[in-house]
Amino acid sequence: MNPRQAAPQLAPMRTVGHSVPRIDAAERVTGANYTRDFVRLGMLYARLLTSPHPHARILSIDTSRAAALPGVRAIITHQTHPDIVYSSGSIAGGAQYNDAAKDITLHKRFMFNNPVRHVGEPVAAVAAVDRHVAEEAAGLITVEYEQLPFVLDAEEALAPGAPQVWPEGNIGLNGRNEPRPLGGRQGDPDAGFAAAERILEGRYTTAFCQDAQLEPRSVLAVWEGDKLQLYTPTQGISNCRHDNARDLGLEDHQVQIICHYMGGGFGDKNGSYYHDLIAATLAKATGTPVKLELTRKEDWLGTHGRWPTTQDLRVGFTADGTVTAVELRALSGMGPYLRRSGSLSGIDAYACANVDRQIYPVHTNRTVSGNFRAPSEPQGYFPIQSMMDDVAYAVGMDPVDFARRNMRRPSETVRFTNFSLDECIDRGVDLFDWRNRWRPTPGSDAGPIKRGAGFSFMMFRSGVGPSSAILRLDGTTNRYTLFVGVTDIGPGAKTTMALIAAEELGVPLEQVDVVWGDTDRCPYSVGESGSRTTIMTGYAVVEAARDLKRQITERGVPALGDVRIASATPNPSTEGRQRLCFAAHFCEVEVDVQLGHVRVTKFVAVHESGRILNPLPARDQIRGAVLQGISMALREDLLYDGRNGQPLTAGYYGARHLTHLDAPEIEVSFIETDDGYGPFGAKTVGEAGIILSPSAVGNAIYNATGVRMKDLPITRQRILEALA
Amino acid sequence: MEDAHRNTPAHPADELDRRDFLKGSGAALVAAGLTSPAAVGAVPPSGSAQQAAPEAPSTFLRFTLNGAPYNLRVEDRWTLAEMLRDHLMGFLGTKVGCERGECGACTVLVDGAPVYSCSTLAVWMEGRSVRTVEGLAPRGELSPLQRAFVDHNAPQCGFCTPGQLMTATALLERNPSPTPDEVRRGMVGNLCRCANYNAIVEAVMAAARGATTTGGGA
Repeated sequence: MNPRQAAPQLAPMRTVGHSVPRIDAAERVTGANYTRDFVRLGMLYARLLTSPHPHARILSIDTSRAAALPGVRAIITHQTHPDIVYSSGSIAGGAQYNDAAKDITLHKRFMFNNPVRHVGEPVAAVAAVDRHVAEEAAGLITVEYEQLPFVLDAEEALAPGAPQVWPEGNIGLNGRNEPRPLGGRQGDPDAGFAAAERILEGRYTTAFCQDAQLEPRSVLAVWEGDKLQLYTPTQGISNCRHDNARDLGLEDHQVQIICHYMGGGFGDKNGSYYHDLIAATLAKATGTPVKLELTRKEDWLGTHGRWPTTQDLRVGFTADGTVTAVELRALSGMGPYLRRSGSLSGIDAYACANVDRQIYPVHTNRTVSGNFRAPSEPQGYFPIQSMMDDVAYAVGMDPVDFARRNMRRPSETVRFTNFSLDECIDRGVDLFDWRNRWRPTPGSDAGPIKRGAGFSFMMFRSGVGPSSAILRLDGTTNRYTLFVGVTDIGPGAKTTMALIAAEELGVPLEQVDVVWGDTDRCPYSVGESGSRTTIMTGYAVVEAARDLKRQITERGVPALGDVRIASATPNPSTEGRQRLCFAAHFCEVEVDVQLGHVRVTKFVAVHESGRILNPLPARDQIRGAVLQGISMALREDLLYDGRNGQPLTAGYYGARHLTHLDAPEIEVSFIETDDGYGPFGAKTVGEAGIILSPSAVGNAIYNATGVRMKDLPITRQRILEALA
Repeated sequence: MEDAHRNTPAHPADELDRRDFLKGSGAALVAAGLTSPAAVGAVPPSGSAQQAAPEAPSTFLRFTLNGAPYNLRVEDRWTLAEMLRDHLMGFLGTKVGCERGECGACTVLVDGAPVYSCSTLAVWMEGRSVRTVEGLAPRGELSPLQRAFVDHNAPQCGFCTPGQLMTATALLERNPSPTPDEVRRGMVGNLCRCANYNAIVEAVMAAARGATTTGGGA
């Protein structure tokens, strides 16, 4: 399969656009050094003690037995450190990059909290001379709890008399500390429903999916005087530095964040985490470097996953298949802290002007929700694209034709930098052989094993924005060094940045070295979240390279012992136009209606993500993301025992993550364009692939069985119940 | 009402100013009941008379690691992963993803068979032969399988890669010409959360075919 089918109008480039192995590929296949692999002589090991209760007040903590254990060096709790706020852990409005939101929130989250509000919330941390002693000491701490009433379900949390997670109630507070829903009204929804000839309604639910990156969290904290060095896995060293500095009462320059290789993140490692604060505090207390390691279970329950949702949808339409109004009433389960917004996307992919959306972020005593690869999208797209599939059948239209009629397009008032959804759909229809695989009559196959095909489409942000890069040509070595504050979470940012520099400079890739992942060496970068690194930091690299070329033209190459240095912090704009990437996914499944088993037999993902800078890893970003979405559709959940609030499936086995055996082959095709923005026209890739697969799978199951599955994950049990 | 929900210490009198603490005061630790001098803040550099951890039961162990003989005393509670990573400097290529036998990131070969080193005790290695990812490229020269992983972009984040490589190495030694389904079955114990399963299988199949090249695998 050739992942790159270049559109004829796109002229090939020298370096960019050709598949290149990672410049650090050799490290990756010999066991690169991740955070947990860093050591300091004499360092201590730290372990956590976490809450066994979903909601409880801590009455007392007795650390005397733990402290008496030989080898224990420090124990910290909310009693020793009641004032250290983990500011990015609970934010008014969930506004990730807004300092004011962290300040004003009434729902401050501390390094250690009392009361504790979910199972797995840290209660104490121990530093000791070795890991076993630290673990034993944590077990010797006695905590007296007063258990408080708890609530796990978002809908129950809003019922009268429900246990209160916060005194202000269980609705997440916005940027003005008001319990208002996200969303709002556009156009005239009432008139839209009045004009409708038919209305369909449905309730959909989606589950909590832990980001579950394979590298569990660990932090190595080292103080040198009043400067803190933190080796910590983060998707954004600049934001991580800033958040840790503010939480510890330091200036930004007093904190150095180091993160090179990272064992995945998917949003879980955005910015800072409270573990950074705990390790820093223990290291300060002991005057010794401290490495805090989380167990897999502590990571599963103590970090975050995709917010689970309950969504009531209503869609009005005419007999000719035109949508006239859409209404969404949704609850996003955020756990006890509003770490991120709880918003939902998907309705915005449709042209319908009359929309009423009310999305309430709701506090519960489940583990915390936060960003996971396209934070608002797959669980937003699944309900609306399922519902629109139903509407298409209701009016007797092929879902692909229905999409073409109702999808949002650029208009006089809302202009795009380009629009390619029609091409994505056309190519997918051909590659997938949609006309032959899709059943006009759902569930029409004879026999117990039924096949069917499903389709979904999307448009997703690819906006431009500010970031920085520094580029140096050394006259002694005749090598270019690129300084970029990126980390390598998996897509290959380090290689991508080098490719962009080599292309713009017109030099071989081998002549470019990259300095990365260290706030003391690199300028600001936006961070590996929001699929922004390639677009924003990549464009800063282009600008820095242009400046360096200009300097060389004007002043010549640097003499022996001299250097030429260029830096750039561009803040580009699309002049009011929306910049989006586009995709259409096509899925075929086989459903065994006697066993409830679903097998994906064919999957085609067509994406327009602008110019593809490195086709091989870009293809695998999409394939991996599609498979994560299939895992979300069919498998992953965090189940709780309602009687005691205990999580039951916190781990890979319990959450039934995809294995080699469960992963079908995914076919990826890129439509390449250059809209004149980003580095050489590059757009979002990393997050785009996960948005559509849950709805494509759900629609295919409907086409195979004639039964609409409205709850994720679509388990065997749920299929058998629906078919019964 | 407010006190019922805010972060309130069980003993408010024990509250300490965060900045004071960060300036190095160890007093805060006393508040948590830490009275042992060894356990209170500001520990002098190692080598002083501070109380060390008691010695754990240990065993003298002889085994082979990547072809070289090793004789050393190991604590009986050490896992194989722990011994490799923490006590034999230079074997950090083996990654620990779950420490409970779920993910396979820590896979190493023992007498040629893949095992989860997080769930294997070091003392069990007496007389055994252990291979780790460091043993695949002993003199810095990548094995054909490693080259195939590079060419086919098999690592995304790379954290599961050492384990995937070890299992695939064992698989190809046992079955040099597997089908893709045999590869998937053989590697089912190695999770990849990046879900780069397609590329990993393609890389293993390419290595089996001897189709490894350098550079560009699309």
